[in-house]
Amino acid sequence: MKRNKPLALVAGAALLTLAACGGSGSEGENGENGDDNEYREQGAGTKDPTRTGPAPGVEGATEGGTITVYLPGDPGPDSLDPTDGWSVTGNSIQQALTHRSLTQYSRGEDGEPVLVPDLAVDLGQHNDDFTEWTFEIRKDATWEDGKPITAEEVAWGMQRSMDSDTFPAGPGTEYSAHYFLEGGIYKGPYTQPDKKYDGITFDNEASTVTVKMATPFPDMDYWGAFMAMGPAPLGDASKPPNYGQQPLSNGPYKIESWKPNEELVLVRNDQWSADSDPARHQYPDEWVFKFNQDQAKVDQIMLSGNTDSQSALSTSLGSDKYEQASSELGDRLVQQSAQCVSTLAPDYTKITEIEVRKAIAYGYPYTDMWLATGEVPGVTRVPANSLMPPGMAGKRDFQPDGEQITYNPEKSKELLAEAGYEPGEYEITMVYYEVDPLAVAGQKQLTKGLEEAGFTVKAIPVQESPYNIWLDPDNKINKTLNLRGVNWCSDWPAGSTMLPPLLKTDAAYNTAQFSEASVDDEMDRIATIPLEEQADAWGALDEKIMTEFFPIIPTAFRNDLFVFGEKVGNPTGDGALGAPNYKDLFVVQ
Amino acid sequence: MSAAAPEKLGNLTDEAVVDPNSKQGKAISGRSPMQIALRRLMRDKVAVFCAFVVLFFIIIAVFAGPITKAFGVSTETVFPSQYLDVLGGGLPLPEYGPPNGGFTWDHPFGIAPKTADDNLAYWIYGARTSLIIATVATVVATLIGVVIGLLAGFLGGWVDKFLSFVIDAFLTIPFLLAALTMAPILNDRFAISDHYQQIQKFSLVTILAIFGWMSIARLVRGEVLSLREREFVQAARVLGMPTRRILLKELLPNLAAPIIISVSLMLPAFVALEAGLAYLGIGVTSGASWGRTILQAQVYFESYPLYLWQPLLGIVALVLSLNLLGDAIRDALDPKTRR
Repeated sequence: MKRNKPLALVAGAALLTLAACGGSGSEGENGENGDDNEYREQGAGTKDPTRTGPAPGVEGATEGGTITVYLPGDPGPDSLDPTDGWSVTGNSIQQALTHRSLTQYSRGEDGEPVLVPDLAVDLGQHNDDFTEWTFEIRKDATWEDGKPITAEEVAWGMQRSMDSDTFPAGPGTEYSAHYFLEGGIYKGPYTQPDKKYDGITFDNEASTVTVKMATPFPDMDYWGAFMAMGPAPLGDASKPPNYGQQPLSNGPYKIESWKPNEELVLVRNDQWSADSDPARHQYPDEWVFKFNQDQAKVDQIMLSGNTDSQSALSTSLGSDKYEQASSELGDRLVQQSAQCVSTLAPDYTKITEIEVRKAIAYGYPYTDMWLATGEVPGVTRVPANSLMPPGMAGKRDFQPDGEQITYNPEKSKELLAEAGYEPGEYEITMVYYEVDPLAVAGQKQLTKGLEEAGFTVKAIPVQESPYNIWLDPDNKINKTLNLRGVNWCSDWPAGSTMLPPLLKTDAAYNTAQFSEASVDDEMDRIATIPLEEQADAWGALDEKIMTEFFPIIPTAFRNDLFVFGEKVGNPTGDGALGAPNYKDLFVVQ
Repeated sequence: MSAAAPEKLGNLTDEAVVDPNSKQGKAISGRSPMQIALRRLMRDKVAVFCAFVVLFFIIIAVFAGPITKAFGVSTETVFPSQYLDVLGGGLPLPEYGPPNGGFTWDHPFGIAPKTADDNLAYWIYGARTSLIIATVATVVATLIGVVIGLLAGFLGGWVDKFLSFVIDAFLTIPFLLAALTMAPILNDRFAISDHYQQIQKFSLVTILAIFGWMSIARLVRGEVLSLREREFVQAARVLGMPTRRILLKELLPNLAAPIIISVSLMLPAFVALEAGLAYLGIGVTSGASWGRTILQAQVYFESYPLYLWQPLLGIVALVLSLNLLGDAIRDALDPKTRR
């Protein structure tokens, strides 16, 4: 899933964020003294299939008021169509407030996200080999116009996600089209309107929806927490692209107005019944989301403590204001793990020696890079040891090279000598985004670091997103590169959303061009073994890949900083998506 | 001239009118209009001060290397973590100067947040970038403008019509839009080249010159139109002088004043444009540039104002003195001004 953050905020050297949607994750709240900058470890998310509505009340919560959300440099979603939603920003807002799906996450007492039922009465029933899932749809859920949500509408919404041509940026392209029956063959209800699709069936009487899979899909309950796995009005009422402008809401809030890239206003949906929803609340009267805000301006507003900022929150904080914010705001500054990893990807076909790949890792000036690119070292970026983010089920505590890799030019030179290269002999070719001063500053650090570590560096300035270059096999610049990079976030807390997308042969974001038959086979094998063993197997594979091949250099795990106004109650983050915990916020009266 | 004396036509000086046959009169009789203008300029205190400021920047730009060496600073990249307060918003540690510490000779202008680059070195090299680009662009634009203006004005007919059309056509192209469009095209073409930085500066000069020559061409054309009907030009023609010679020897010297004036006003405009483009991220993207520093410094206007003031004052001082100097030159060259 991509993260609609401005380049200036997420760029690290040549690394822009293209983040998958946050899967599990949890909470790292900043301590009250402001000195608690440790990265909070977190456990994997849990499931609770028996949770029923209404959601337990938040302590001290009151109804009424308006919460304004500033999203600095974030353009927001391009379309509000639930089937199109695959960005952290859009999903976190819509899934929490306006659009329901089969399942959802609830913030547990310890801050861990818990997967609980939403429109389904439980987390789905599956057959033994996970090729058929049945969800019973609750009967008391309604649309904003008061009509009940039927199983047929849920089935129709899910069928829409099969249409990769109509929703090319939707998450269905990755999951529905891959796992559902005839995925890839059946092109979806808009592209092939005449074809009947048997993969998703419904029974309005029993109120059930059944999905048949092409390959075993044990994570269907997690996939059900995407709003793409929710209902859509039948027929022309939900025809794209118009439906994306004013989709029919079914959550506690409905859409009052939406100006793309500017503002989204949500108001109370009277037809939503709290009894039907195990996790959402309806405390504020109104939500105003302001996109594309200027970071410096928002920082000023939030730190001023004036009436504008009291019932507002901001989804990021400029690093230059971190010290002030952490001392003045206390627990109103929330540090939220993003379940993401930043990487450098040495081209496996060109940089063939593992010693050289490790030498690059030792030549990367971690702290200096973070500083120069506007991050707060140890807070928004923390050292990483492998691809799986902390807290993901099965993650192992190991170090690919014995101990945590830090900047160490001497060690790098030794490794280069082992591989038979004199200092200055090995040339690294990479790109950086020259429009962003932060990316330029980061590249200067990286060039200096690698040069002192015995490499020569050719850094090519580009004026488009480096991803456009890395992902285009015919690009003439891309052909010359031997070092790329990807920032990746999990879609749900399972190794299957981290390792295969980055390291499977010919995966789209495998910019390292890594290809080992043994690893591919293992990935295929893990998908078929019993669910309980999968987490461990992914962790073992993660360790095996990093120690045996070291094909990709994890440079950092990522955290976000949220700033809450004085009168926003329950300032917390949503560990599942790496966003503010919109479901449980209220205005202190 | 005394206030009571009647005004006389053709009097170029603002000195008291003296009897041309007296001793005093003979002593000043041999001055060319240029000398007279220079004398006036020297007596203009603002002009002299501005000239010194401009000279100061020129010296800084020319001797950037030795000057930075003398101060013991450089634009080399350093690892910032040892100089900056990692959790304090990336601001410099007190021992490395403002905003938290006092003045230090190691870094007279302090160091930059986030990157710990030395501000003085970047400021000096920023002046160099600014002046080189503005000067070269001015020279190129003036050359193009003068040649086209001369040809259009003197040749007349379809040549004039065509060249005037070209001038108008270029005037209609919005400069900023063109510059914004050109940047990625140039990048796409030359990104792989080893000389990308030089190419970037060269293309910046080209863009500034290509969109800067029209005003001077129009000015020259207008002057030539009125001059070419004058007797001395007619006489030269009758004598059979080649066109080239008429243009260069007869017309051009008479155009010196308007050309000098427009050059002196074009320079500051280009200095400001260079900084503006760098601020927008399409000018000099690597290396030192005042505009680039301002872009980085704007978020620190509260916590580290000095960082923002340095490049800002540099630009203001340079542009203002160039502008005032240009004004003074125009006044000095204009026979109708008397002060």
